[in-house]
Amino acid sequence: MSVHGLITNIQRTSTEDGPGIRTTVFLKGCPLRCEWCHNVEAIDPKPQLVWHGQKCIGDQACIRTCPEHALTLTREGMVIDREMCTVCGSCAEACPTTAMELIGERWNAEDLVEELARDSVFFTTSGGGVTLSGGETLYQPEFAIAVARGLKERGIHVALDTCGYYSEKVLRSILPYVDLVLYDLKIMDSEKHRKHTGVPNERILSNARVLAEVSIPTWIRTPVIPGYTDDDDNIRAIAQFIKDNMPNVERYDLLAFNNMCVDKYEMLGKRYALKDAALMDKKTMERLSRIAREIGVPNVQRSGMTREEGKIVRIPQMEAG
Amino acid sequence: MTIEDSRPSSVQIWSPSDQLPERIRKLREHFYSFDKRKETNEPIAFTTGTEWDELYSFHDWANEPAIYQFLPSIDGTFKAMAVKVDLPEDYWEHGLAMRRAIFFYEAMVHYMPTIILNGELIVGFNFNTALSKSLNKAETKKRNKEMEKWFKEAARLSRLGIGTASAAPGHIIPNYAKVLRIGMKGIVEEYEEIKRGKTSAEHREFIDALILSLEGARDLSLRYAQKAEELAADETDQVRRGELEEIARICRKVPWEPAETFWEALQSLWITHMLVMAAESYPGAGLSHGRWDQYLYPFYRHSIDSGELTREQAKELLECYWIKHNYAYDFQGRLGINQGINSSFGQLITLGGCGPNGEDLTNDLTWLALEVIEEMNLLEPKPNIRLHRNVSQEFLTRVAEILAKAQGSPFLLNFDEHSIEGLVWEGIPREEAWDYGIVGCLENTMQGKDRSGTVDVNINLVKAVELALNDGKDMATGEQVGPRTGDPLTFKSYEQFLHAVETQLKALIKLLVDCGAKADTLRAKYQPTPYLSALMDGCAERGKDVNEGGTDWNFITLEGMGIATLADSVAAVKKMVYEDKRLTMDKLMKAIHANYEGYEDVRQLLKTRAPKFGNDDDYADEVARHLSTFWAKETFKHKSPYTGRRFRAGYLSWNYYVPLAPLTAATPDGRRRGEFMSGGVGAVQGMDKKGPTASIRSVGKLGLETVPNGASHTITLSPSMVRTPEHIQKLAALLRAYIEAGGTALQTNIIDAATLRAAQKDPDAYSNLLVRVTGYNAYFTQIGRELQEEIIARTEHSL
Repeated sequence: MSVHGLITNIQRTSTEDGPGIRTTVFLKGCPLRCEWCHNVEAIDPKPQLVWHGQKCIGDQACIRTCPEHALTLTREGMVIDREMCTVCGSCAEACPTTAMELIGERWNAEDLVEELARDSVFFTTSGGGVTLSGGETLYQPEFAIAVARGLKERGIHVALDTCGYYSEKVLRSILPYVDLVLYDLKIMDSEKHRKHTGVPNERILSNARVLAEVSIPTWIRTPVIPGYTDDDDNIRAIAQFIKDNMPNVERYDLLAFNNMCVDKYEMLGKRYALKDAALMDKKTMERLSRIAREIGVPNVQRSGMTREEGKIVRIPQMEAG
Repeated sequence: MTIEDSRPSSVQIWSPSDQLPERIRKLREHFYSFDKRKETNEPIAFTTGTEWDELYSFHDWANEPAIYQFLPSIDGTFKAMAVKVDLPEDYWEHGLAMRRAIFFYEAMVHYMPTIILNGELIVGFNFNTALSKSLNKAETKKRNKEMEKWFKEAARLSRLGIGTASAAPGHIIPNYAKVLRIGMKGIVEEYEEIKRGKTSAEHREFIDALILSLEGARDLSLRYAQKAEELAADETDQVRRGELEEIARICRKVPWEPAETFWEALQSLWITHMLVMAAESYPGAGLSHGRWDQYLYPFYRHSIDSGELTREQAKELLECYWIKHNYAYDFQGRLGINQGINSSFGQLITLGGCGPNGEDLTNDLTWLALEVIEEMNLLEPKPNIRLHRNVSQEFLTRVAEILAKAQGSPFLLNFDEHSIEGLVWEGIPREEAWDYGIVGCLENTMQGKDRSGTVDVNINLVKAVELALNDGKDMATGEQVGPRTGDPLTFKSYEQFLHAVETQLKALIKLLVDCGAKADTLRAKYQPTPYLSALMDGCAERGKDVNEGGTDWNFITLEGMGIATLADSVAAVKKMVYEDKRLTMDKLMKAIHANYEGYEDVRQLLKTRAPKFGNDDDYADEVARHLSTFWAKETFKHKSPYTGRRFRAGYLSWNYYVPLAPLTAATPDGRRRGEFMSGGVGAVQGMDKKGPTASIRSVGKLGLETVPNGASHTITLSPSMVRTPEHIQKLAALLRAYIEAGGTALQTNIIDAATLRAAQKDPDAYSNLLVRVTGYNAYFTQIGRELQEEIIARTEHSL
């Protein structure tokens, strides 16, 4: 019996999600609601219909095809009546330009493993592999486990990129098929964590201890978000937690905030709290790294674009995903 | 690390290292001052003085349709400016090869200037020429008549956007290694020996012509020796006087005698090489050195081990030698800085690579050459690095590091395992094929015994779709070009459509092969090059000039343009018309005839919903493989009857996808007339959306063993890919995977669209910005808006 699941994207030649050259697959659905979320299209566990204005040529094939008559093209753009829309995908299928897009592709685990294994030769030469990401990978636990197991059987290195918010049992059931965990620790103050991500952090911290207990290689990652996670105390507390509880941590990444996801919010009609936020200041990033290093966390790395005083760095447009 | 750290200004990148010795810095500046300096290597024309004399051959340049309209005036200019060479009284009694040899000898030994620049250690300055073809009146008349006939057809094929057919000089690796090893004297001794066994007077005279040509090299070197002695006598600086005396000693010795020291070897190599350009009247284009780090290594080792040179001194000699190649560009110099050197001539140096048992052959000279490449930042000579399974991680990392630091691409990479398969496929014994070299841009060629004729003939593969959809007629002019394959509305199945495309491909190949054979025949009959033939194995023995097919391996390469556009077009018809039936052939035809005007929905559907080559999509890749192997095998069936040279396939698209674009009708992949076709074996611009690994795997599925020339594949990486040592290791790993999964040749552009846009806005600030366009470097600000847009439009694989 094959297990099916929903993904939003497969990204090949991924160089930022673990060691070597990797293929990253983004699973759909997430229990957290981080205000700075970069993969906002992966939060909702169901498929979503979106309309890309700049791709639309106004031929209205979608409107003619829709069995529910849920679409109207107005001066302001396409109006999707979400009440009537059953997200059947016929409009996306009919659209000649991919202006109508159904986010969330259904795959069965075996086929997905096959697809993810395409770059095996690159994984071998680079010490890379596949990274399961999201959304939250373990929001679809059976699917995620089936995919991880399938990859493992092929001898492919599997990294699990995860927020840590699920039962200990779920975590323990996937770990036999995982070689490396990329584990997010965002905010140490549980109340603040709840305020900005929608959930408290006790369960996340306790699962972190599970990782230490089974001694699985782990990279801790903190998105450095201006006004949310970038204060010295927060980084100090995270570093201290790693130092005190997680001898299995091989690397600590401080990931500087950027704004490249702003269009995705617009496309989904969502408000983005950090729309006009500036990039992290280079000096702050350096200071935070130093703090973590001084506490004794091994292999502190920082990545992402930063700004230097008086200099504005333009952010290049990138493909979504 | 921040983005600012990883993106220094282009000016910093393309300037020489500040570590360069004073001597080298000055010599480099001398070259770059070609709009002001008094010494120039602009072509010097030499004539026999007869009223019918010809100095110029259209077929030498006919792979460049942009200059067709200027050919007669270039010819006229050369004749008007030509210096008359005094010739012996019995000159016209000799055979053509001997006449060419005498002419070459006289022009080089009695007329060519001998300039030695201040401070230089390797000498030999003027080599750009337009030499008389040395034909008598009757030969001239015949030749011009045949040339007219060929050119009429070549111009027609070019005008219709079918392709070009020429017989281009260069693109060859002479047996320089042998000159270093046994000296030209040793070669002459071999030829005398061969001559003793030949009874035909014609054959014996031919061998004498080869010998006389080599004596020309000897005697020109003696003139340089004399010049150096004169300069030494007037030199007040002790050190420089010593250098000039050593130059004089060396020039009296090589290339006639075998070289012993590294200095002698470099001097011997340079004079031998520059005279091939002089003899062919062709400035460097594709004339290549082969496995330079292999055959020079014993001399380097000798000089280092004997303590005669330090590594630093060897490097300085090497840098003096390096600069010399760039003077090939002087013939464009008057156009001004940058415009004069907007394309690369491709005097290639092959570095690294495997030995007969797959072992790695990189040595200290290979590493030293990398230092020179990095510090000099010059256009010539162009290095190609051979990579293979047993390349050391240390070397691969160094290669990745240089790629990461440079903008554009300081060298191209050739991949041994796939390249060797192609050479074996064309008939080279496996036990020899490992020792191949590279000419021009990326074209695989055997050393010293192979005229592979790369870029001679170039085919627009996409035209086959246009003809298949229009019953064999060119859509713009209505001219019947190919066979009548029927009205596409009557095609009942995909197989019928595919068959029509294949039939048209065959017909196009035939047209170009026939025209190419005419050019090849013209050159063989009327343009022997005894000096080059003397440096190619087998010519003396066979009594045949290299241009007549006298060396061991003789090919003419048909370079294919637009394989991805062809594959995407056929795949789109297969999927959209015959399988999914989302489109009728009728509607597709209407849309194509209307150039998609009023059919935006059809165009969008084809662009976004049909499978595309370059994404590791087996559907599109299978169509591409089928078409690629089909035309490659079809090409291999043909031979040029006069010379016996066999046609072989290649994928070096140069910049043809620009001029061919308006000559090719709209295509079923959603491309409108005028939009560029794909370059090399790359995807259609902007259609490879899955990143470099997918693009590499698609190329790896093309069945490139049927394409012995090799295939140009470019990936553009954003600087973010290589900003830290960790990322540089990932690039090295990508290259190692390419050895297994990819094609035969790769170039990387590490540059981002934002930088290019900035350069468009402020060309002055970026006048130094080099980019690599299918196998050559170009100054981005000088290449014209069209090509600029094309480079920006290529998918930038953001990582």
